[in-house]
Amino acid sequence: MKKQLVAREHMTQKPKPKMRGSRARGNTQFAWTGSDLLNGEIVPSLTMVLTTKGCSWARRDGCTMCGYNVNSNPYVQAPDIQKQFNQVIAHYGKAFKIVKLFTSGSFLDKEEVPIDVRDTILSELKDMPKVIVESRPEYVTPEICDDIARTNEHVEVAIGLETSSDRIRNNCVNKGFSFGDFIRASETAIAHDFTVKAYLLLKPPFMTEREALEDALQSVRDAAPYADTISLNLCNVQKGTLVEALWKKGLYRPPWLWTAVEVLKRMQETATVICDPVGGGSRRGPHNCGKCDRKVVTEIKEFSLSQNSASFTASCTDQMLWEFVLEFEEFSYGAPLVP
Amino acid sequence: MTRLFEVTKRDDAARLGKLGWRGRALATPHSLESKEDLELLKESTIHRAEIDVAIVAAQEGTGTERIDADVVILAGAARFQEDPRGLTKALLGARKLANPDSALYVPALATPTNVSLLVYAGVDLFDSIIAEVKAREGYFLDADGERRFDEVSHRPCFCGVCNGANITELSFEHKVALASDHNKKALKEELNKVAEHIERGTLRELVEGRCRAAPALTALLRLLDNEYEYFERRSPIVRTATLLACSQESLNRPEIRRFGERVIERLRRRDGVLLLLPCSARKPYSRSRSHRIILAQLGELRQHLNEAIITSPVGVVPRSLEIMYPASNYDIPVTGTWTCDEREWVTACLTQYLSANTFESVIAHVSGPYRQICESTVEQLGINVVYTVDDDNVLSSASLQRLRAVAHELVDACSPARRDLRFDYMQDLADFQFGPRASEAIFPEIPKIGGLFPTYYASDRGRRIATITGSYQTLALTIEGARRYLPASGGKYCVQIDDFEPKGTVFAIGALKADPGIRPFDEVVVVNDRFIAVGRALMSGWEMQASKRGGAVVIRHVESR
Ligand SMILES: [Zn+2]
Ligand SMILES: [Zn+2]
Repeated sequence: MKKQLVAREHMTQKPKPKMRGSRARGNTQFAWTGSDLLNGEIVPSLTMVLTTKGCSWARRDGCTMCGYNVNSNPYVQAPDIQKQFNQVIAHYGKAFKIVKLFTSGSFLDKEEVPIDVRDTILSELKDMPKVIVESRPEYVTPEICDDIARTNEHVEVAIGLETSSDRIRNNCVNKGFSFGDFIRASETAIAHDFTVKAYLLLKPPFMTEREALEDALQSVRDAAPYADTISLNLCNVQKGTLVEALWKKGLYRPPWLWTAVEVLKRMQETATVICDPVGGGSRRGPHNCGKCDRKVVTEIKEFSLSQNSASFTASCTDQMLWEFVLEFEEFSYGAPLVP
Repeated sequence: MTRLFEVTKRDDAARLGKLGWRGRALATPHSLESKEDLELLKESTIHRAEIDVAIVAAQEGTGTERIDADVVILAGAARFQEDPRGLTKALLGARKLANPDSALYVPALATPTNVSLLVYAGVDLFDSIIAEVKAREGYFLDADGERRFDEVSHRPCFCGVCNGANITELSFEHKVALASDHNKKALKEELNKVAEHIERGTLRELVEGRCRAAPALTALLRLLDNEYEYFERRSPIVRTATLLACSQESLNRPEIRRFGERVIERLRRRDGVLLLLPCSARKPYSRSRSHRIILAQLGELRQHLNEAIITSPVGVVPRSLEIMYPASNYDIPVTGTWTCDEREWVTACLTQYLSANTFESVIAHVSGPYRQICESTVEQLGINVVYTVDDDNVLSSASLQRLRAVAHELVDACSPARRDLRFDYMQDLADFQFGPRASEAIFPEIPKIGGLFPTYYASDRGRRIATITGSYQTLALTIEGARRYLPASGGKYCVQIDDFEPKGTVFAIGALKADPGIRPFDEVVVVNDRFIAVGRALMSGWEMQASKRGGAVVIRHVESR
């Protein structure tokens, strides 16, 4: 399908940004600049994380691996959000080709970002070649898309699908929506000429490395028809999450970087899959043996820009161990074989 | 339900067993090596299969519902590789939840270094997953720890697999392949050794040595030792093997503590004159040269004295219990000095012993550290003790003469009754084995004693009541003895069986009700409405009740009721 946009994602898991943002009335807001690929060209991008009252799902139930709710503030009012945006633009200007508007939930949820604020922001960015917003599928409705399309024609909707398996999404991620919901949202967005990005989560809790690998491969295959870009998020251990509790008990290990490489290599023909291994090489992030991590992280980032598996040249003694883990981890009945 | 696994031999919580499975008879403890076996077990946790497999989560084992399956898997055990506290809780929790005749499988945890401790804690089944992982991480594993590839390059391994091969020139893949074979072989070899030790009843000695390989393993043994009740419930009442108290942890063996507790809780209160003596290397003590010389010196005076021996690690051994395990066969490194732990333990035992009895006077014919222990004990209690060794030599003629003189004087002063020392052995063994006052039920009158030390027997009007056995030196009741004991027993040391004549071996399935306090090798009374029998227990009473397989009691005599 559409493969026109290959964005170098700095934001797949929203790293703790350096304190470059300014503060507005007690609401912490973060923003930073970077480079992303747009239509085969490296362009400057601006990313901002707006503090809102937080993800509607996180307030009701919440996902097993998501700790972003700590960035939210229940007392945030509409003018605060507008003010945050204005301050970022005042500070950085508009000389970018891509702007990413992230909240810790859904930008399209009017409870989080009131309609007038949303429309003001999007209309201020209407000349930007690409404006990326994140949302749960339930807010990607024809009505909302109609509204947005009137204000801004260059929107990309990024949805955290995590996996195409409803069983895994329910049992291991607790996401609260179905693959069908995602398909409906994606079709709605595409019908409004928006582009769609799907986030997949490599290795939710309660899965072996092999199950995680197989799930990611299948999810790419399943999601490819409904997404212009697939962003493979490598699960990391965030504070205050179920994943963290399991990790502390020795019942969770973030994915091997080799597993990510395997997904990217094998899915090269199937979809545009990008990946930013946030926290790569650390104990809380995706990692290998420690010796090869840095090189493999670099190669994964290179691949995300080039989409050429010639990027992958690293080899290391731990690959035999990784292969063994893929084959035997299921027989430990729940504990990772290696830390 | 358990159908395929049977425990054939026990050594504390460790067991030898047989898992009859797919036409094979796996001798446990066993390490599953083939992926096919692992897959089959995993399949069987989900679908009903030829083998019944259940999973327990690693928790503290607060559940009360027993899991009755051929194999019980402790899920996620691999996470306790570096966490002896978590491992202790998880292992004991799982073992308590699993039926005693279920095989406990701890996946992805065993190494040649830790497997003896895991078996000691009660695990039956393992796999070679970590042996394989460690090979890929670049390690050769042995019972005494792990070695990196570069260390093995430097000093090759001469096992049957490696054969002294120089691995320096090998590719990493080849090193891994060799290490993987070596590690699996080392694990098998260690399991073989463990089985051999269980067979001999000396696994404890092995693990006290093995745990030195890593602080985490020493910690594991100490944490396991804190679980006195768990191990005491599984600890045999006697052993033929000599208890070797070679480490600090030896003091924490369940039989050591149990012996001390029974001396205080089960024996008759003594009064009159107490003579404290040092232990001897030879057991029983009265066979040693030093004791023979001292006892010869006392002659008939002994019949008016109570004797007790001070020793590490057993504590205080009344003369009558010198033939009872562990007092009857233990060995310690003799250096002439005692460690703080030993002093503290033995002082506590002596304090308890002196407080529990009402001696009028105490003679301490001891020197060196023994005397220091007596002095610190007496200081706490305010008891008057006469020390009869002045020149540091318990066998010097001056010491011996003084002992005889003091004993004479003190015996004359309180003129205690004369006792038959042989009967003392029998009475105290009866109380020690069957509980307080059991001797009164079994010997309501003073019986006629015959036989040579220590295999005395007691009879009444020509009917044999009880014998001290030659093999284990326990008191074995005859049917007559059992008839006397039974009404007063309150069910203690009794096994109620189904309606059949007990002969040969009574199996667990036939035991309807058993005193949970029965321990392996205990003398027990077996009854139903028609028969009364005596025999030796093969497993603990609580285990007889929970098990469906395996021998419970070997019958010695049976009669109609
Ligand atoms: Zn590596
Ligand atoms: Zn070798």
